[in-house]
Amino acid sequence: MTFAERMLKIDRRIIFLVIGFCTLLPLLYPVGLPIKISPEVRGVYDYIESLPEGSVFLLSLDFDPASKPELHPQAISLLRHAFRKNLRVIAMTLWVSGTGMADQVVTQVAREMGKESGKDYVFLGWSPGGTAVIINMGQDLYGAFPADYNGKPTKGLPVLQGIANLRDVSYAVSLGAGNPGVEAWYVFGKDKYKFELAGGCTGVMAPGLYPLLRSGQINGLIGGLRGAAEYEILIGQKGKAVAGMDAQSATHLAIIVLVIICNVFYLSLRKTTRQQAHSGT
Amino acid sequence: MPVETIIGAWVATGLTLFIFTFLYKDNPLFKLAENLYVGVSVGYTIVKTYDTVVVQLIWKPIVENGEWTLLIPVAIGLLMLTRYVPKAAWLSRYAFAFIVGVGSGLAIPRTISSFILKQIEDTVRPLMMLVPGEGVSFTWSLLNPASSLNTIIILVGVSSVLFYFFFSVEHTGPGKIVARTGILFLMIAFGAAFGYTVMARMSLLIGRLTDLIEFTDPSYGRPSLWLLGLTILTLVVMSRRSSNKQPKEEE
Amino acid sequence: MIFLRRQVPLLITLITGIVFAAQYYVPHPASEQMLTSVTKWLQIIGGFALVLGVSSLFHVHAIKIRRKEAGWGYSFVLYVSMLGTIAVGLWSNGKEAVDGTMTAFGWIYNFMMVPLQGTMFAILAFFIASAAYRSFRARSREAAVLLIAAVIVMMGRVPLGEYLLPISGDLSQWILNVLNASVRRAILIGVSLGTVALSIKIIFSMERSYLGGGKE
Repeated sequence: MTFAERMLKIDRRIIFLVIGFCTLLPLLYPVGLPIKISPEVRGVYDYIESLPEGSVFLLSLDFDPASKPELHPQAISLLRHAFRKNLRVIAMTLWVSGTGMADQVVTQVAREMGKESGKDYVFLGWSPGGTAVIINMGQDLYGAFPADYNGKPTKGLPVLQGIANLRDVSYAVSLGAGNPGVEAWYVFGKDKYKFELAGGCTGVMAPGLYPLLRSGQINGLIGGLRGAAEYEILIGQKGKAVAGMDAQSATHLAIIVLVIICNVFYLSLRKTTRQQAHSGT
Repeated sequence: MPVETIIGAWVATGLTLFIFTFLYKDNPLFKLAENLYVGVSVGYTIVKTYDTVVVQLIWKPIVENGEWTLLIPVAIGLLMLTRYVPKAAWLSRYAFAFIVGVGSGLAIPRTISSFILKQIEDTVRPLMMLVPGEGVSFTWSLLNPASSLNTIIILVGVSSVLFYFFFSVEHTGPGKIVARTGILFLMIAFGAAFGYTVMARMSLLIGRLTDLIEFTDPSYGRPSLWLLGLTILTLVVMSRRSSNKQPKEEE
Repeated sequence: MIFLRRQVPLLITLITGIVFAAQYYVPHPASEQMLTSVTKWLQIIGGFALVLGVSSLFHVHAIKIRRKEAGWGYSFVLYVSMLGTIAVGLWSNGKEAVDGTMTAFGWIYNFMMVPLQGTMFAILAFFIASAAYRSFRARSREAAVLLIAAVIVMMGRVPLGEYLLPISGDLSQWILNVLNASVRRAILIGVSLGTVALSIKIIFSMERSYLGGGKE
């Protein structure tokens, strides 16, 4: 076997080790390169900045623990921003396995910002049905969620005063890892109930949401860990997302180098095979 | 640090490392963690469903607020469960027919409005700006996605890709050029999708390793370091034992 | 009997499908009230559907344990962990935390479920690197285009890439907002047309596979 053939058939565990090191080293020894802010993340930030105090902000944490590294930092930053602007926050989730995580993040940030449940924010929890929940909230919020996550009846909560359904929401952001997610919130929510909507999503979902961004159906998009890092910088509170960007840089570079190396060996092998075929004939 | 947090840190680290052992090769530690994962996830879903549906959505509204009409969906739900009774399984069709009928009916106008009409509108509307009118100018900036040049590129992209997927017409002559343009656009989009997928997967790994690094702290008892050593030892012992078994079988 | 088994379900689909498709265009309060009630029902029925999905899992692994098939020990682990989680969850009244203090159910969620699910998906990072090395080859012109676009986006979306090659940031923004957006738009339109066509076929009984369950 030639050197090129051997390199192309290398044991994949060596590649695993390379990726492992490229992820671990920058986490232990961070560099802190500057991060440019993209217009799509700025769109979300600017809109929340423009909302007057007391506006209703709906945050739907539609993800499960599998997507925690990407969407958890986004949730923390958005909640910090919303609480700083003294907005009335309604949090919920459409994914059953994300309920505990959503409750924990809302409670944690609220406590940090000195906000009170029922007065400044409410965590509605989870309800089955996915898109049916969105439509039901659009028709009658109290019918969809008769009680909040702690069992307190939603009718009569000070934070929900004057809110009958989704039409009374000033801004909704869905942090989606799949379906139901941002698209479902648009199709079954914004299309009929006309509230302003933005999306946060995993890196896998992000390219698919650009058509909605371009058409103005969502006014901003926070994509993946990079989007979360950009938002942390915008609100001036760096967290896990910014800390992870160095490792992200290293691993991307590693993959690019691996792909280039693999193609160099592949093309040299192809050239050798073609030369042999020519000399053979 | 509370005791349950320390124990929890050790359990979480152990389970994380068990799953990482799959990278070396499939082994009992991984299988144990895998089955534990399925069991705990399903158990969690059942508890949550019971608490939300039975207690909050059915029991409390019917018993405390007297909403007796909610017995209808309960009946439909129970009909669905007859799927497991072979003689009465045909009754479950009523439930599925209702759900699918309502779901399809709700989806049709909303999908048409959101994803077909609105998307086509946004592709075509910016072109109106290019029609000579009062003080209309052609903007060339590639960096601004709403510029005239980009609007034309988007139109070319959307139409060529839609044409490419139109398989009932043969892609010959001018059709071939359009289809090939479509393929070019598709390849670029798939490349972008791959780039973002790599970003997403790496982020997940970064998240887990961040947690593992957090658990190297002495306040937790350094579970990451101890359990890493233990896991590597276990893997070495297991691979020695399987390589000892092989020569014995050959003998 | 055939009428009850086959025709009535199809009739139900037809009527509900047409009624709820038409409801979108009828703003009358009665129509809105119907939508509110029925979507509330769908939430409850959705809960039963989850139970349905889960009970098949119970069944499959119970058989494996009973027959002591290969790997039944792992099925036993699955069963015990499932029943254990349910027991602890019901004891904690389904809550992960009460007044900020973590319950036993919350302990299982935070220290078992979150790490397990997170790590299951985290190991994909290694596999995507290995797959990229083995299969991401410029075998043709189109594959080369895919490769170049992927490299530009991977460079442009990380700070190191933007630092080494400043143009990659702007280029990847252009690729995402213009080229990628146009392709995804076309795919979205195409898929939506397909979804609408399938929904119409279901409503008008041209597609019946969703019924399942029981003999004809």
